[in-house]
Amino acid sequence: MTELNRRQFLKTSALASGGLLITIALPGCASIGHEGMVSNSDWHANAWLHIHTDNRITFVLDRVEMGQGTYTGLVTLLAEELEVAPEQVDVTFAGVDSFYNNPIYKLQITGGSTSMASSYERIRIAGASAREMLRQAAAQVWQQPLSAIQADNGHVHFQQQSLSYGELAPLAAQQSVPEVTLKSAGQFKRIGKPEQRLDARAKVTGQAEYGIDVDLPGMLYAVVSRAPAWGATLTSRDLSAAQQAQGVVAVFEITAAGRQGIAVVAERYWQARKAQRLLKLQWQTPEVAPSTDSIISLHRQALEQNSGDRVRDEGDFEQALAASKQVLEAEYQLPHLAHATLEPQNCVVDARANAMEVWAPTQSASMARVAAGRHSRYSLDDIKVHTTWIGGGFGRRIMQEYVSECAAIADHMQRPVKLIWSREEDTQHDFYRPASVHRLAAAIKDGDVQGWQHRLAHPKVFEWFADDAAPAQYPFMPKFMFPALASAGKAGEGIIAPSDTSAYEGAHDLPYDFKSLQVDFVHSDPGVPVGYWRAVGHSHNGFVTESFVDELAHHTQTDPLAFRLRHLAQHPPAVALLKAVAKAAHWGQPLAGCQQGIAIHKSFGSWVAQVADVQVEGEQIKVKRVVCGVDCGLAVNPDTVKAQMEGGIIFALTAALHGEITLQQGEVQQSNFHDYPLARMTETPQLEVFIMPSQQAPTGVGEPGVPPLAAAVANAVFAASGQRLRSLPLRLTA
Amino acid sequence: MISLTVNGQRHSLDIDDDTPLLWVIRDELKLKGSKFGCGAGLCGACTMHLDGAPIRSCITPVSLAADKQVTTIEGVTPSQGLSPVQQAWADLNVPQCGYCQSGQIMSATALLANNPSPTDEDIDQAMSGNLCRCGTYPRIRTAIHQAAQHPLYQERRQPEKHHD
Repeated sequence: MTELNRRQFLKTSALASGGLLITIALPGCASIGHEGMVSNSDWHANAWLHIHTDNRITFVLDRVEMGQGTYTGLVTLLAEELEVAPEQVDVTFAGVDSFYNNPIYKLQITGGSTSMASSYERIRIAGASAREMLRQAAAQVWQQPLSAIQADNGHVHFQQQSLSYGELAPLAAQQSVPEVTLKSAGQFKRIGKPEQRLDARAKVTGQAEYGIDVDLPGMLYAVVSRAPAWGATLTSRDLSAAQQAQGVVAVFEITAAGRQGIAVVAERYWQARKAQRLLKLQWQTPEVAPSTDSIISLHRQALEQNSGDRVRDEGDFEQALAASKQVLEAEYQLPHLAHATLEPQNCVVDARANAMEVWAPTQSASMARVAAGRHSRYSLDDIKVHTTWIGGGFGRRIMQEYVSECAAIADHMQRPVKLIWSREEDTQHDFYRPASVHRLAAAIKDGDVQGWQHRLAHPKVFEWFADDAAPAQYPFMPKFMFPALASAGKAGEGIIAPSDTSAYEGAHDLPYDFKSLQVDFVHSDPGVPVGYWRAVGHSHNGFVTESFVDELAHHTQTDPLAFRLRHLAQHPPAVALLKAVAKAAHWGQPLAGCQQGIAIHKSFGSWVAQVADVQVEGEQIKVKRVVCGVDCGLAVNPDTVKAQMEGGIIFALTAALHGEITLQQGEVQQSNFHDYPLARMTETPQLEVFIMPSQQAPTGVGEPGVPPLAAAVANAVFAASGQRLRSLPLRLTA
Repeated sequence: MISLTVNGQRHSLDIDDDTPLLWVIRDELKLKGSKFGCGAGLCGACTMHLDGAPIRSCITPVSLAADKQVTTIEGVTPSQGLSPVQQAWADLNVPQCGYCQSGQIMSATALLANNPSPTDEDIDQAMSGNLCRCGTYPRIRTAIHQAAQHPLYQERRQPEKHHD
């Protein structure tokens, strides 16, 4: 690295207050090899570390905390190299700045289980560089060689003398930025060891401020009645009763993020809710509106009539088919699913003469800013976005329409407004995990799988996401260009925008060594709003592929574990993990009254294998125990990894046993937790999670616990009942 | 005017009788620790105590709480440190997103007040009305058992043991 580049990489400046401000600039790529830093043009400042003269240390967290543990994880990385206690670090959430862009997506977004992987090196470099500059400053003060100076626990020491980081900050700011060598794994004091969650105290006392808790002086409350079906339009309205209701300030029409709606704004939330019931609205649903049955038919038709994109092509499947003695075929189906974050969608916006401020529990501050600008008079430069603690994300808050709505309402009111969605509105107006249909075929000869074919019909989530995402990549473009940018983004998918692999991820990269492999993605969009849902394509493909693999094992009269071990031989981590999970779960010796199922799936860089012990009683499926092994590289905080696996399993259990959004003429039939139930404590199986030891760089943990679960349970159900359940949620027939 | 006693403090409020207690606590008294999740008593995020018993404040009209003792998550938090239940939650890294945890802790606190040594079944029973989308249930169960070991609950258990 040249001196110039190094300076750009780590800019320091003395603050007016006398503190040390460190700006970390990094290349716009995910892998942060030192060679990668030579290119000047790609560099973006990414995070700020501020050491105050009063010893406070402030770290700007550029990934949102929605439960997955980035807050604790990234502070741990910093603290490890900076030599401070993590508890000593104050964290603030980042506002919008392209410096904070996720280098993988070129957007300021938290998703794809990338936070730890993309921060692992750069945050440690930030900490190490600051520590070295503090040591250099101390060496100057004491006139001693650098090698005699130690940094530890927020202080720098020479023999019996010591100075705090705060005392040294002004002088440290004047030091040249050194080359740093990061600690080796053997030197870690905190990384790899279970740390307490730093946000636990705030969250057990009710003090953590979520989006819904933001409170501004003079704030009004808004609720919105939205088009009941996508594309439905208002044909008549009578707003008068609502307008005259107590506390109501305004009732007016808005159109935000493609949905028409009527906003009711009142002095108090409950007044707005009560007035909303007085609205008399007639909606016209589009003539062709999707229903669950028609969606399945549409996907089937697409599979029959379209060849689609061949996204994997290895060997000669047709030849394998012609030469095979047996063909095993199966159709799998998955339903739409809501995210059901426990904190419903909400937003607070303050609109003033020349500026707008937005507080939102969003997974993307930069897209939230676009969403606010798109539906208000303000230019992006005049919009400031604050992110908050988030009551569950799971991909829901990558979409920003609640921000659009609140911006439109606050712009109209020119006052601070809080918008809160009801649970019913949240369930019925989600961007759902897409429903999909999958057809699988395997060519078998002499008990050996010669070929695997997987054809799936599924929409492109990217097309529903690009409206706010594309302009967020070009924040300098004027607003009238937003539609063009969105269109260009959609048209340029795979060319100027990243390829949308989300439909077939986990299918096209099937790891088994079958002699021929063919995977086709057939684009089929029934017109239901769709979005990213925890584990995204892996959430359906994990179920489909691991169920069909199980079918093949049984069909070839092979033990499901042995079958997987044999066909995954070229992936040693998978083999080691399967053996470990089988041992931990006592594969072959199920719990009393249970049968076992096994599944393994790689997603977001991590292998996860699960064995489910399941009891079948009549039509009832009871999951008694899940043993889960994960290989996610080095586990920075092993307890966080375990928590994410536990949570992923229970999240997936809801999808396996309950989750189903159905539509009738475009309208979602479910509304609240009575008809869209989540797994409760009574259904929670015994969970055992273990982490494979590894010195590899960390890979994802927020999502990879989800994909194998439904297959492991379905495979156990087959073992217990002989019924092969090929759609979710799993339902036995008597 | 409705008279309300929240966490030991008396308030007189000019508010519609049918307003759910949750919104009065959150928006009028500005105590934001209790959360809105479903508005139908199905998720437990809004759990508070009314005269010591856990209630779903999102479906409890404020008029029903008049002249009764309301306790919220802020009211069970000691001025210094944490309650035994909160401490167990923090020790075991229970919260993920944390949004449901105020309600979970209020339900668990009420459970332990009535039953200082609950079994797994007791816990399942008492906690099954509290949803957690992040899936922290196994840790909640462990945390309740751990909190039950606190002297506060152990002492209350003693007399019963002598009776045995």
